[in-house]
Amino acid sequence: MSTLEISQVEKKKERKLAIIWAVTFLIVFPLLVILGLYMRLNQGKVVELDYTKFYAFMTMHGLGMAGVLFSVAFAGLWYLISTRITRLSLGVGYFVYFTVLIGFLALAYGTLIGNFAAGWYMLYPLPFKGASWATWSTQVSAVALILMGIAWLVGILHLLYALTKRYGGFFNLLGWQYLRKGDHEKLPSVVLIATVALIPGIFAFLAGAVMLIMYLLQTFEPSLAFNPLLMKNLTFFFGHMLVNVTLYCGVGWVYALMPEFTKREWKVDKVVVYSWNATFFFIVFAYLHHLYMDFAQPRSMQYIGQIFSYMSAVPATAVTMFGIIAQVYHSKMKWSIFPLMSLFGMMGWAIGGFAALVDTTIAINVGLHNTLWVPAHFHTYMLMGVVLFIFGYLFYLFSGEEGIHLKNVTGKAGFWLFVIGAYGFLLMFYLSGINGVPRRFADYQGIEAGHVKETGTQLARYAAMFIYLILLGLLVMYWSLFAKLTRRQKASAW
Amino acid sequence: MSSITILMTLQNLAGVLTLAGAIIVVAVVIFVISSTSKEEDKDAAKHKVYSVRTRYFFGLCLVLIVGLFISLRLLPYPRANAVADETVSIVGVQWFWKMANGERTTGPLEFVGSNEVTVPAKKNLKFVVTSADVNHSFGIYNSKGVLVTQTQAMPQYNNVLYHQFDEPGEYYVVCMEYCGQTHSYMVGKIHVQ
Ligand code: HEM
Ligand SMILES: [Cu+2]
Ligand SMILES: [Cu+2]
Repeated sequence: MSTLEISQVEKKKERKLAIIWAVTFLIVFPLLVILGLYMRLNQGKVVELDYTKFYAFMTMHGLGMAGVLFSVAFAGLWYLISTRITRLSLGVGYFVYFTVLIGFLALAYGTLIGNFAAGWYMLYPLPFKGASWATWSTQVSAVALILMGIAWLVGILHLLYALTKRYGGFFNLLGWQYLRKGDHEKLPSVVLIATVALIPGIFAFLAGAVMLIMYLLQTFEPSLAFNPLLMKNLTFFFGHMLVNVTLYCGVGWVYALMPEFTKREWKVDKVVVYSWNATFFFIVFAYLHHLYMDFAQPRSMQYIGQIFSYMSAVPATAVTMFGIIAQVYHSKMKWSIFPLMSLFGMMGWAIGGFAALVDTTIAINVGLHNTLWVPAHFHTYMLMGVVLFIFGYLFYLFSGEEGIHLKNVTGKAGFWLFVIGAYGFLLMFYLSGINGVPRRFADYQGIEAGHVKETGTQLARYAAMFIYLILLGLLVMYWSLFAKLTRRQKASAW
Repeated sequence: MSSITILMTLQNLAGVLTLAGAIIVVAVVIFVISSTSKEEDKDAAKHKVYSVRTRYFFGLCLVLIVGLFISLRLLPYPRANAVADETVSIVGVQWFWKMANGERTTGPLEFVGSNEVTVPAKKNLKFVVTSADVNHSFGIYNSKGVLVTQTQAMPQYNNVLYHQFDEPGEYYVVCMEYCGQTHSYMVGKIHVQ
């Protein structure tokens, strides 16, 4: 079976690709955070942005973050799989990288220069009515997103194809062999999770691509018109899946790498298989909770939305959260930076998930829908979930398999600054939501009801201060990361 | 009485529930981290965690099912047998509200209404909400700044919202769906008498 072995040279080349992705992420991420900072400063009336600029920033921030986080999460899975499980094509890997990069730059051009400002979701028919930007910006942005979608689709299909070949059948990737009697080859958990994450990813990107092509068609042929309720369903099917899929990619490498720190196996077993297969099912329908306030949506779909959203809490907590607890509990492990970030990432996921559960209750949603509560909860599991998973992975990647076990005082100092800043920033979002401050408002100056205007403005200012802390934390973590990468730092052993 | 009604908003309920949830999560994380000062055989540790997990699983299912039973009875949607005392027609347009008492007889584009409307208190009102262009959302705030209720305003669809104002006073309409450049100034007023 020596032909199946992945050679050292190949591993080195895959590592280089992973590092290129990582460095790209490290450049883009803080720039997108700075767009977020400007939004909050404008909402706090510390700076004055043009309305169109504010919404162009918002659009770039939302789409850019979603895109770059998914990209690096996917690249992380790619790296683990290509160096430990089965050979993946470097050609495809670089194709994905460069296509996504071109798409990303085009998107930045469409939004920041072209002022395309329809929000990440460009809710139909907003790009076609009363737009404050030129049609070409819509076209450039749509083409940019289609490019990224194609790149990811190609990458996902290649990865799933390689895994299917390696494990002798697609259903084996979903762990179905564990449900039958008899012997079978062990399935690494990362393969199961990657599959459960990426199959819905395929549906999501296809739905997104179909929708964007409809948009493109309408920019060329304005007499076309589509059903707005159908388009909204498609939009949120896509958006909801993309976010979940990104999260699961991050969870995938936590499953894979945590055992190196706790010295306990994290095996696939029947419970894990049932749980992740159920997750697969839940995330397809949970998106319906984005349409609760569309009273014209069939009532049955509203029920399905709430029931499936509630159910998705079961596998996530009972299996994955308890899984990490079983890893860690009484394990006498050292809290080096990877397990620390992984556990905190799970914590962010749990807190954000809890806030989501509250909001996904239709009876409560009527008071929270499109308030800042919504960005509050998803920023919790993206920023304090996914982003922490990603930094954990980056420290792992940059420090190497041995280096990651060493003490890293600088890295941890940066981590704590980042975490404190982020929870402060998030708290302001939550408090704003509780006080009825709407989301996607360039500023709150037009609201006359009660103290919404004053509260919203003041909380935005506090939030901005916490964002400076986040940026400081990032800077310190970067210092440590690059020291690791260039191996200039001789960390002392435990 | 009124201080209780202020405290018991949906938003405050959400805040309290989430705070409680977050405290539990943080407590678990601290407990788990501090547990690693001890060492135990991995099978013994797993056994303990999994026996808690079984109880957690059934507990969670119970909570979710009870939660579903209670909350799915409190939906904001119109009931099949709902009777309205009065109808109010609402059309969102970039970037203002067209509101008028009574049933709408024209299409949303031609419809004539104003940014302010007067309605009676303690009457079951039927708001028929739509849009003449893009998606908006019809959110109603009371004078204390609490978001009381809302429904989307989607072109080509009528969203029907029943609401009864128990207290007279000034209420404010705020657009809750991003609808373009001056979305944040798309506001109106409801005088409740
Ligand atoms: C420190 C980091 C971050 C800051 C300061 C920040 C800030 C903001 C702000 C101020 C908004 C506008 C909220 C509103 O008024 O509606 C926003 C929206 C958004 N953010 Fe972030 N954010 C951060 C991280 C992230 C991350 C990690 C993601 C990952 C997905 C993300 C995705 C989004 C999305 C999708 C939106 C909604 C855009 C839209 O409504 O079209 N953000 N963010
Ligand atoms: Cu509007
Ligand atoms: Cu609006």
